[in-house]
Amino acid sequence: MLKFEDRLVELRPGETVLEALERAGIDAPSSCRSGNCQTCLHRAVEGVPPPESQVGLTQGQKALGFFLPCVCLPTSPLTITRPDNVGARRDAVIRAIEPLAPNVIRLRVDADDFAYRPGQFLELVVDGDLRRHYSLASHPEEDPFLEMHIRLHENGRMSRRLGEFKPGDRLHVAGPSGTCFYEGVHADQRLLLIGAGTGLAPLYGVLRDALKRGHLGPIRLYHGARSRDGLYLDEELKALSRTLAHVDYRPCLLDPDAPAGGDVAATALHAEQDVKDCAIFLCGGENLVRRLKRDFFMRGVSMKNIRSDAFTPSG
Amino acid sequence: MSNLYERLGGENAVNAAVELFYRKVLADGRIAQFFDGVDIDQQIAKQKSFLTMAFGGPNNYTGADMRNAHKRLVAKGLNDSHVDAVIENLNYTLRDLGVPEKEVKEVAAIAHSVRDDVLNR
Ligand SMILES: Cc1cc2nc3c(=O)[nH]c(=O)nc-3n(C[C@H](O)[C@H](O)[C@H](O)COP(=O)(O)OP(=O)(O)OC[C@H]3O[C@@H](n4cnc5c(N)ncnc54)[C@H](O)[C@@H]3O)c2cc1C
Ligand code: HEM
Ligand code: FES
Repeated sequence: MLKFEDRLVELRPGETVLEALERAGIDAPSSCRSGNCQTCLHRAVEGVPPPESQVGLTQGQKALGFFLPCVCLPTSPLTITRPDNVGARRDAVIRAIEPLAPNVIRLRVDADDFAYRPGQFLELVVDGDLRRHYSLASHPEEDPFLEMHIRLHENGRMSRRLGEFKPGDRLHVAGPSGTCFYEGVHADQRLLLIGAGTGLAPLYGVLRDALKRGHLGPIRLYHGARSRDGLYLDEELKALSRTLAHVDYRPCLLDPDAPAGGDVAATALHAEQDVKDCAIFLCGGENLVRRLKRDFFMRGVSMKNIRSDAFTPSG
Repeated sequence: MSNLYERLGGENAVNAAVELFYRKVLADGRIAQFFDGVDIDQQIAKQKSFLTMAFGGPNNYTGADMRNAHKRLVAKGLNDSHVDAVIENLNYTLRDLGVPEKEVKEVAAIAHSVRDDVLNR
């Protein structure tokens, strides 16, 4: 049995999921129709797609039920949805909202039954239709709330609105989404976490998840900021790297006079020459993420070892 | 006698070649600009399609698909010299992997055969 969201789709014997969707008149993109280009990517929200329909996907994608309909001959019932469908909005209540730095707030909200992996992001919805993505720094097994670190942009619509909220206020969340989380990493692999600004939020989530899951290999976390205030978890992370021998925290203050640019990307690229076998996590602004991803890939890191989230501004 | 794709090692050969090949392409100043601004993760998947096709593997691309996939690039000036550069990088990749010269030539021939579609003429 095959369902596309709420709709039952007839699946004939020997037919792929893609063919069934097309015959049912559901708009499903495709290109190679042989399991390579990933244009047809969908996600199973119920049931398990056969392994041959997940060849070439990342461990994170597999864990979330992503699969390729053009090479999927289901062997058991499946309910599927488009890859960017974040699901229904849920009610959430603000538990705490407080400054972490002059332009950064920590927002904690309570939401029932919101399953996620630390490092994924959710969609925050206020006033009915103002929606933005924020990454999760909390840990579902340790925190009863969802925690986000949010930079307040001077003229940002969500930023301004959030400035008016107080504990007890209601909003909505949807998701989670994203595959920048601790999955498919070996316990003794070297972990390299690099981010700037509130890019620390997902990295902090990943770091906690790695420790919770007993990661043994060396972990190095680079956090870049334009000013000392912006290193908003400095004390906590310094304390953590004093306590745990395999955790190394590297705060990077922007130094405009440095020859190579002086930002966290330049600093990390200079310090990390031997990265071939690292599991790398990159989070923050688009330029930072694109540059690091490319440079590490060119240095020989396989893309399956690079996970990233770029904080692309919306619209 | 098995076909070219099987002789090369099938899907495993594609997986072994794809990142090597894509690094060479990005490092090649003659063609790198056509891959600017496209996410590497997504490109790797497209390059797998390219290699599967060039290796004579199973694919369902038509000439029209190839025209469509490269239309945007032709508008940006894609021409024969760029196709030659891609095939050159493909040859180097296969030699790096120790593929015999006979198979390298067969792969290049397949890539050449779609030139007119890729260039939309
Ligand atoms: C996957 C993902 C995860 C994200 N996670 C986080 C997170 O954990 N924490 C967080 O703070 N943000 C995160 N973001 C960014 C966030 O979704 C919003 O884009 C951001 O908060 C701005 O929203 P806004 O409504 O305040 O500004 P908008 O009203 O959307 O933008 C107004 C103006 O603000 C400026 N602006 C907006 N964003 C930026 C930027 N990134 N850099 C420079 N100027 C900008 C621009 O000039 C823009 O025109 C994430 C984005 C994505 C896609
Ligand atoms: C030599 C013959 C070539 C073949 C057989 C070929 C094959 C392919 C295939 C199969 C795809 C994937 C299409 C899809 O499923 O979307 C593709 C995409 C692409 N090709 Fe080629 N290609 C060739 C030459 C070139 C050249 C010369 C360039 C540029 C220098 C190029 C640049 C690209 C780019 C950028 C894409 C991605 C397009 C997108 O994502 O929109 N190709 N090619
Ligand atoms: S259409 Fe290319 S992977 Fe399915």
